[in-house]
Amino acid sequence: MAEYFGVKVEDIFNTMQERFRPEGAQGVDASFGYDITGEGKWKLSVKNGKMTIEKTDDLSGCCVVTVTDGETFVGVNVGKVDGMSAFTSGKLKAEGDLGALGKTAKMFRKFTQAKKEMSVRDYLLDMFGTVEKRFRPAAAEGVDAVFAFDLGGDYGGQWSVIIKDKTCKVIDKIDGKPTTKLEFIDAKDYVDFSLGKIDAQSLLGAARAAVVGDINLVMKWGEFFEKYVDPMAGDVKEQELLVLKKTISVNQRFATGPYMGRFLRALKDKKIIGTKCPKCGRIQLPAREICAECRVRSDEWVEVGPKGQVRYMDYAYYASPDPLTGETRETPYGSIHIRLDGCKGNETFTHFIRRDQIDRIERGWNEKSGTRVRPVWNENRTGSFKDILYFEIDE
Amino acid sequence: MAHRKKNRNVGIIGIGQTKYSSHREDVNQPEMIHEAVQLALDDAGLTMDDIDCIVHGNMELFEMIYQPDLWHVIGTGAYGKSEFRITTGGTVGITLACASDNLVASGMYDIVMAIGFEKLQEGHTTGGITNMADPLWFRHLQTGALTGSGAYDVINEFGEERAKKASMMYRIIMDKHASLNPNAHRSFGLEFEQMDDLIKNSPKLVGDLKLIEMCSQSDGACAVIFACEKKAKALSKKPVWIRDHVTVHREETFFIFGYDEKYPVTMTHSLAAKRLFERNNIKKPIDYFDVFEMYDPASWWAVDWLRDFFLLKGDEHLKLVENKDIMIGGKMPVNPSGGVIGSNPIGATALVRVAEAALQIRGDAGAHQIPTPVNHALASGFGGTMWTVLMMLEKELNW
Repeated sequence: MAEYFGVKVEDIFNTMQERFRPEGAQGVDASFGYDITGEGKWKLSVKNGKMTIEKTDDLSGCCVVTVTDGETFVGVNVGKVDGMSAFTSGKLKAEGDLGALGKTAKMFRKFTQAKKEMSVRDYLLDMFGTVEKRFRPAAAEGVDAVFAFDLGGDYGGQWSVIIKDKTCKVIDKIDGKPTTKLEFIDAKDYVDFSLGKIDAQSLLGAARAAVVGDINLVMKWGEFFEKYVDPMAGDVKEQELLVLKKTISVNQRFATGPYMGRFLRALKDKKIIGTKCPKCGRIQLPAREICAECRVRSDEWVEVGPKGQVRYMDYAYYASPDPLTGETRETPYGSIHIRLDGCKGNETFTHFIRRDQIDRIERGWNEKSGTRVRPVWNENRTGSFKDILYFEIDE
Repeated sequence: MAHRKKNRNVGIIGIGQTKYSSHREDVNQPEMIHEAVQLALDDAGLTMDDIDCIVHGNMELFEMIYQPDLWHVIGTGAYGKSEFRITTGGTVGITLACASDNLVASGMYDIVMAIGFEKLQEGHTTGGITNMADPLWFRHLQTGALTGSGAYDVINEFGEERAKKASMMYRIIMDKHASLNPNAHRSFGLEFEQMDDLIKNSPKLVGDLKLIEMCSQSDGACAVIFACEKKAKALSKKPVWIRDHVTVHREETFFIFGYDEKYPVTMTHSLAAKRLFERNNIKKPIDYFDVFEMYDPASWWAVDWLRDFFLLKGDEHLKLVENKDIMIGGKMPVNPSGGVIGSNPIGATALVRVAEAALQIRGDAGAHQIPTPVNHALASGFGGTMWTVLMMLEKELNW
């Protein structure tokens, strides 16, 4: 199996179990398929806050199947490829319920690449191996000193850093009488101290470290040498950038006014009524008190429909949020513009079509008629959009 | 419609744009705005002390911050100065430019800075746009600015194959333009050979509107400095003159779908274009303008709207695309910047159209500068269900 960005496709799937967040999978009861070209197929099943992952050629029953190549799949998971761009350009496809795909993002902690471990000994060699490179000659003007390091423990050792005539030299022993000597009982403490994991006060206070000789010189170490950079820290920025997450949820009340109110009231009686412009004759649905085009009041009420023909349907694949509830709409769905009987031209009325009939809808165009539809009324009508559940084919 | 000549001429003397991106978590809103403000001041050779008034705009529902101009004062430099705030949907950016032009032309202020911004990653764009629809009915149905109706109309009129190819051709041209603009958000490196593959494989959003054909959701800010003729001439070597602008709004328009030619509907783009060109005595806009920066939210609309804006007939607009006349180097270059499909920080987007049109006139557009001289430029804004703003920019004060 090929590696992409240093990671195999299998690594992503094999770590899913340990990255799984049950709290992000609440209420999810579904299977998700992954078809990775040339690598194989995997099926992720989630139920009751638990998950299973299996490599299988049978992706039946999955609500959505992600189809992509190994490089894109790994790239998106390790953050090297922008998922949206891959999706937009068709490199990553999702077959099925796109809305459901979004749920998987919440279910897993981010994949992190397993790092090669560095031992205490590796660190010590790296730290002293880079001292000469990190030396700042300008800061050591007139300094003639020897720093000795006596580091105990299994991985410890002795080093001397000699500064003289604006040069620096490191040797792996302690020779003669150093200007100052740092003693650490355990070399690991020195590593942790250098990486900023533990502070000098704690070590000195606990007598795990001691300074013999000129302590003022020790304080100047930071001026003489650039800070040691942990090679395992990756590309973490110096300052962590924070993003604050907020959710706004407010209750709202909207007055309908007398015209819209009358229109909504009529829905309770299973009637669709609109207002007709006295000047241009157009019927507006829902009813509006003004014909904005003619700048006159529309006072005449007419009952139309309730059956009519579809003039246009938006076949929506995009998992759009319903701004009134915050819930993601189930996809695909069809929002339709219907010319109700009694209306003409572009005097259309809008609602949804029964979801299982989307693929059977013919749209009108000029003289061509669209599919005939009828409203399906809600049994419990309150004078709102939801008094009509949806329209269905009139057959 | 009553329309009067300006009291005095107005020129653009400073332009600043941030890089447009979906990854601006390194800065907060005022910090991001400040980048554009500083670039515009540097471009004009001015300091904040020289600015008399600021016009600030975006859409509050996208980031859900009411009166963001308060927080943003530390980035806009508006402290202690006159400031106006404008929010008109997708058109907000160009409305900022219109307002700035009017404020200077009126004689009330000599130097005005327009600032448009958006950090779309900090909110939910489609959710925000859906709240545009009236809450009593249409909000239940709307899917933000996403609709397949544009595609449906073009397909019905010109047939599926030709229509789909024209839309994807337009999209690929925009991608090629965006690749020349270092500020552009998205550039995929698309090639014309990929056309059939993209038509087949790019995921669908609504109807025949595919993800790749829709504009991006970007973060970014744009600032443009406007000055009266006297100051513009004194302060700038190459001011770009605002000749005229027109705005046509209409009611919220959801009844235009399912078109029946026996019942023609007034469309704001062609109405705006007719008004603007008539009163400026421009008979053939396609010949007059050297470049057009169009607010193109999706490639389907873009293709369709070329006909409206240039008052074209039949399939002339499709031919412009098919013959690559709209490419940099073509006879009617459209969106050398890569357009809205390339970058869409919505509150800045329509101001970017004005800024990019002005850069083309100055000859300062860099790698996406069109090779022939630019004397006359057109910029457009689009918003709501059908609102249009058009602005004409000129190199010389000679009309």
